[in-house]
Amino acid sequence: MTLTGTYRIPAPRERVFAALVDPDVLQRCIEGAEQLVRTSDDAYDVHLKIGIAAFKGSYVGKARLTDKLPPDSFTLHVEGQGGPGFVRGRARIRLVASEGGTEATCDGDGQVGGLLAAVGSRLVEATARKMMDRFFERLTAEMG
Amino acid sequence: MFAAPFDYARPKTLDEALALLSKHGDEAKLLAGGHSLIPAMKLRLAQPKVLVDIARLDALRRIEERDGRLVIGALVTHAEIAADRAVASRCPLLAEAAAAIGDVQVRNKGTIGGSLVHADPAADWPAAILALDAELDIAGPKGRRTVKAGDFFVDLLETAVKPNEILCEIRVPATGALVAYVKTEQKASGFALCGVAAVVDAAGKRVRVGITGVAPVPYRAAAVERALDGQPLNAKTIAEAARHAAGGVTPLGDIHASPEYRAHLAAVNTARALERAASR
Repeated sequence: MTLTGTYRIPAPRERVFAALVDPDVLQRCIEGAEQLVRTSDDAYDVHLKIGIAAFKGSYVGKARLTDKLPPDSFTLHVEGQGGPGFVRGRARIRLVASEGGTEATCDGDGQVGGLLAAVGSRLVEATARKMMDRFFERLTAEMG
Repeated sequence: MFAAPFDYARPKTLDEALALLSKHGDEAKLLAGGHSLIPAMKLRLAQPKVLVDIARLDALRRIEERDGRLVIGALVTHAEIAADRAVASRCPLLAEAAAAIGDVQVRNKGTIGGSLVHADPAADWPAAILALDAELDIAGPKGRRTVKAGDFFVDLLETAVKPNEILCEIRVPATGALVAYVKTEQKASGFALCGVAAVVDAAGKRVRVGITGVAPVPYRAAAVERALDGQPLNAKTIAEAARHAAGGVTPLGDIHASPEYRAHLAAVNTARALERAASR
């Protein structure tokens, strides 16, 4: 699955970049993130409580940041594993200065595997998109 | 696959069910037909601590006529709606949509209320409910309230029904025969890649179009309706208007269909639904 989106954030690139790699900000902006535990430089265990309608549950995922080129771009790797399968993804996030702020472009792709892929990939993808949209909404509010 | 452990309650009345929801908060889930929830629980995508089984609330299992409207209880199954005489004569769009859902097992167990509240973006009911401009009655701790179909679907898998509330009934107006539901389904699951419900008024001058499967939230194709307002319905006006079927929405994309394909299906199925409805 691919996941792309462009978001406008009313803050300078340097501030947006700093926020995007700040675990405290991330925890506030990722919906349902209860805890971000730093496991090494730029790597975290993310304790998520997802509460989208019927699909409620607690999950632990791994997130890692690489290829950091402040304030231009970085790559986010995420991985989640549970009973019925796994979700793995990677996204390149680019920040471009634009009038009145920053344009953030997220260009990601991911795999859904196991039983989850056979039955739930449809909803996993739509859910991932919704979480991404809400993340940038919250980030925009945070920067405001 | 086995579901995570859960407690089970089977209230006998609506009030008892509401009290259980208030007590357990968002740790509880209502069980109706179970054809979305149980698979999600087996995948452990859903792990409710308490299942509140409302299947025995007989008050929600009736189809009746009231004040010129057809009232469908939330626990009526898809198969019951597909086979009901009053539905067939008073609101044939519901019968047509019901018959298009899933397979025989799903239709025999799945309920209209369960499907609507689950709000799967590819479910069939939302298209019909929107095109009929239905009203939905929701019971909560503070009494009942009515929500219009246009305000019911809030977001992906999210409706106006709060965790401590229960959808009780769906009220639809009687329509003439000028209705149609046209769907392109995902072959394995029967879910709609794109489903379009159309209602044409008796004079053939006004249309209402509801679309499911295309966007994260089902929607009324407002641009199509505007383009046809007061126009004679013919192949040319319909084809022209149907081009706007995915206007203003961000189509879903997944392994089964790209966003571009879904938008294309929206236009094609909208034209077919309007043509079929107008010719009946």
